[in-house]
Amino acid sequence: KAVLPSPEELIGLIDAVARTQDRNAFARLFGYFAPRVKSFLMRSGLEDAAAEEVAQEVMIAVWRKASYFDPGKAGASTWVFTIARNQRIDRLRRTSSRTADNLLDPTDEPDMPPSGEDIAIVAQREEGVRKALESLPIDQLTIVRLSFFAEKPHAEIARELGIPLGTVKSRVRLALNRLRTLLDSDI
Amino acid sequence: MTINHHPSDETLMRMAAGALGSGPALVVSVHLEGCAVCRNRMAHFEAVGGAILDEMPPVPLAADLFGRTMERLQVVQQLQTKERSVNKHPELGIELPRAMQDCEVGPWKWLGPGFKWSKVKIPGSPDEKVMLLKGRAGLHLPAHGHTGLEFMQILSGSLADERGRYFPGDLDEAGDDVDHRPVVGQESDCVCLAALEGDTRLHGLLGRLLRPIVGF
Ligand SMILES: [Zn+2]
Ligand SMILES: [Zn+2]
Repeated sequence: KAVLPSPEELIGLIDAVARTQDRNAFARLFGYFAPRVKSFLMRSGLEDAAAEEVAQEVMIAVWRKASYFDPGKAGASTWVFTIARNQRIDRLRRTSSRTADNLLDPTDEPDMPPSGEDIAIVAQREEGVRKALESLPIDQLTIVRLSFFAEKPHAEIARELGIPLGTVKSRVRLALNRLRTLLDSDI
Repeated sequence: MTINHHPSDETLMRMAAGALGSGPALVVSVHLEGCAVCRNRMAHFEAVGGAILDEMPPVPLAADLFGRTMERLQVVQQLQTKERSVNKHPELGIELPRAMQDCEVGPWKWLGPGFKWSKVKIPGSPDEKVMLLKGRAGLHLPAHGHTGLEFMQILSGSLADERGRYFPGDLDEAGDDVDHRPVVGQESDCVCLAALEGDTRLHGLLGRLLRPIVGF
C-alpha cells in the first residue's frame, strides 16, 4: 500500500503546483485527494458519475487556485475540503458555480506570504482538531460526520438514525463543547 | 471595536459544513469579515471538515480521469478571466461589506414611519429572505417572535432589545424562543443586514407589516 503524504508534503505539493505548474506534484495531489473527494461527495448523496464529475471540478479548482492557497490560514486537506464543500453547494442548489465560492471565501486574493509562525499555528490547530475528534464518543462523532456530509437539518439526521431530535441536538451540543474547550485553550 | 454578539457554535459549524442557507451564510460572512475571533472559530470548524475528508475511504476513479482532467486544464487556463461586476448597488448612503459585493441590492423603500428596507439578492439564490433594514434614531420596532432563526448583523448605528445592545460588528441570532422588541439607539440611524432562515416567519405586528410589502 502506498505511503500517504504527510500534511507538510501536501502543502509542498500545492506550492509546487502554484510556483511551477508542476504536473508530477499535481498527479500526487490528484492521487491522494480525488478518490477521497469523490468518496465524500458520494457520502453526501451524489451518484457515482456525478461525484466523479464534481471531484474532477474540485481538482481543476485545486490547480487553478493553488497560488491562493495560504498554509498560514488552513491545512491542505482543510483547503481542499472547503473547495469540495463549495462545489457541492453549487451542484445541489444548482446555482452558477462561484456563488458559494464568493460567499464563503470572499478573501480570494493572494496577500502577504504566510510567516513560519502562522504555518505552525495552523498545523497545531489541525492536529488539535483531529485529536479532539478522536476523543469524541462514537455517537457524537457520528452526528458531527453526518452534519458535514450533507445539507441535512438535524431533524433529518434524527430520522435517519432512528433517534429523537432532542438526542441529536444534545449530541451536537456535547461535541461542540468538546471542540469549544480546544478553541478556548487556543485563543 | 469590541464585538460582543457572535454567531453560535451550531451556526458556524453548519456554515463550515456548507449546510447553512445562503441568506444566513451571507449575514455570517459579513460578521466574519469584521470579527477575528469568529474567523478563528470558523477555521477550527473547517478543519473538522478537512479531518473528515482525510478519513474518507478512497473510492475507485475512472482510469482515464486524470488524463481527462489534464486535458481540461489546458482549456480552463485560457478561459481564466476575472469578471468584475458592474455596479449593482444604488446609493444607499452606507458602505457595503465586501461579502456583499456580488449581491444585487435594491434602493431604500418605505416600510413604515422612519423605517426602510432594501432587497438583497444573492446570485443563484433568488428565494433567500435577506434585506437591509434602516431605522431612524429612537425608532421602536414592533414586538415580534420568529418561527425559526433570524440573523441580524449591525452595519451602522445601534439596536437594543430585552437581551442586550448591539453595535456595528455585532451579530444577533434570534430563534423561536426569542420574543423581542428592538429599539434603535438615540445617537443615529441604524442599518443592519437581516436574514430569515428557510421558511421562518415573523409573528406579531412586524410580520403582518412585512409580509405584504416584503413578501415574508
Ligand atoms: Zn464574532
Ligand atoms: Zn427578531
